[in-house]
Amino acid sequence: MAEQATGHGGRLVGRGRYLYAVSRGLPSDALADVPGLGDGRLEVLEHQGLSAVVSDVDLEEYGEEGLRRNLERLDWLEEVARRHDEVVHAVAEHGPVAPLRLATICLDDVGVRRRVEEWHDALEQVLDRVDGRSEWSVKAFAARAEPQPAASAPAGEGEGGAAYLRRKKAETLTRAEGEEQALKVAEEVHARLSAVSVASRRLPPQDPRLTGHVGTMTLNGAYLVDTARADEFADAVRAAQADHPEAGIDAAGPWPPYSFAMLEQP
Amino acid sequence: MTEQRRLLPQRLETDAESVERDLFKLVLTIIELVRQLMEKQALRRVDQGDLTDEQVEGLGTGLMHLEQAMDELKARYDLTTADLNIDLGPLGTLLSD
Amino acid sequence: MSSSVQQQPLGRPDTQQAGGQISLVDLLDRLLGTGVVLAGDVVISLAGVDLVQVRLHALISTVREEMTQR
Repeated sequence: MAEQATGHGGRLVGRGRYLYAVSRGLPSDALADVPGLGDGRLEVLEHQGLSAVVSDVDLEEYGEEGLRRNLERLDWLEEVARRHDEVVHAVAEHGPVAPLRLATICLDDVGVRRRVEEWHDALEQVLDRVDGRSEWSVKAFAARAEPQPAASAPAGEGEGGAAYLRRKKAETLTRAEGEEQALKVAEEVHARLSAVSVASRRLPPQDPRLTGHVGTMTLNGAYLVDTARADEFADAVRAAQADHPEAGIDAAGPWPPYSFAMLEQP
Repeated sequence: MTEQRRLLPQRLETDAESVERDLFKLVLTIIELVRQLMEKQALRRVDQGDLTDEQVEGLGTGLMHLEQAMDELKARYDLTTADLNIDLGPLGTLLSD
Repeated sequence: MSSSVQQQPLGRPDTQQAGGQISLVDLLDRLLGTGVVLAGDVVISLAGVDLVQVRLHALISTVREEMTQR
């Protein structure tokens, strides 16, 4: 991800270029009032018809060694992700945007241009694909069936071991049926929303310890929706919510097209 | 499959006044995990059908007592199963084969 | 002063709103390109001093292996 420059004793020194996003025909002063990371100045590099949005960063923080340290720190991740997102949003106001992964660093502008050239065709395709479109995130959940607490144990006072196991088995089956049903609902919702979208993806479910949600996440869907069809999409979400109130269907957006614009780096 | 990014381990910040309860909560979490695994495994063995009636009875009684003991411990420290965060996302998948 | 396990949620799922704010988990998932997970470990610290690290994943793997070997 980062091109290396080692200074004295192998430690990275100097400045690098942080690459936030690529767009087309972005006016060079469009981002004049938007701060980059570390309140650095954003610049727009034009190359082969594409506009690369960059700013200077310190390689001690963003070089390979620095990233290895910092990518494990939640506070650092939060600050960088938020600022990166702000820049992406600002670019999106002026045209189609292909956001880059967090911490895409080049040593200098020559490196940036080389990178843009390498990815040129793919970037053009991505920009065509997301032009006039936004991402929507829709999630669905399986309500957690609470196992009966010990209050049911009085019935178990005289319960033998074999009966206990039979009861546990029955509870397992009920829970499995509930999960299967919830997964079916997720599939159906995904299909209905995909039908109103240009493209869609199912992302891995998220850890409840991170999101604070209750129950299993059965759908973490990302949908690329024409701006012109946004109302139709919202209607489809509301219809799904009405049909499956137990699924806690939750929608968010419109966002820049993160899930449909990332180029997988070799 | 994409590589999972790991964040720092969770930090259990404790102090002299609450250390007993905090450690106990952690220990209960581990015991509860093991108890659930044992129960799942027992059900699998019973399903396989190669256990005698006495073995099934013995397994069931033992697990029943274990569940009751856990309920008492949780009650004593005023903890629910949800408090023990048993159904953790990735770990939950591990347990529900 | 009571202590707490630092498991604060990073962000709640957003409700529908125009130009919606992306929750931190959603943002990190997309910007990092990999799933964001918490390590299944707990570091126990007392009076601000890290003392012990409990590796829950290792424990569970060991127990599972023993189970399947029977």
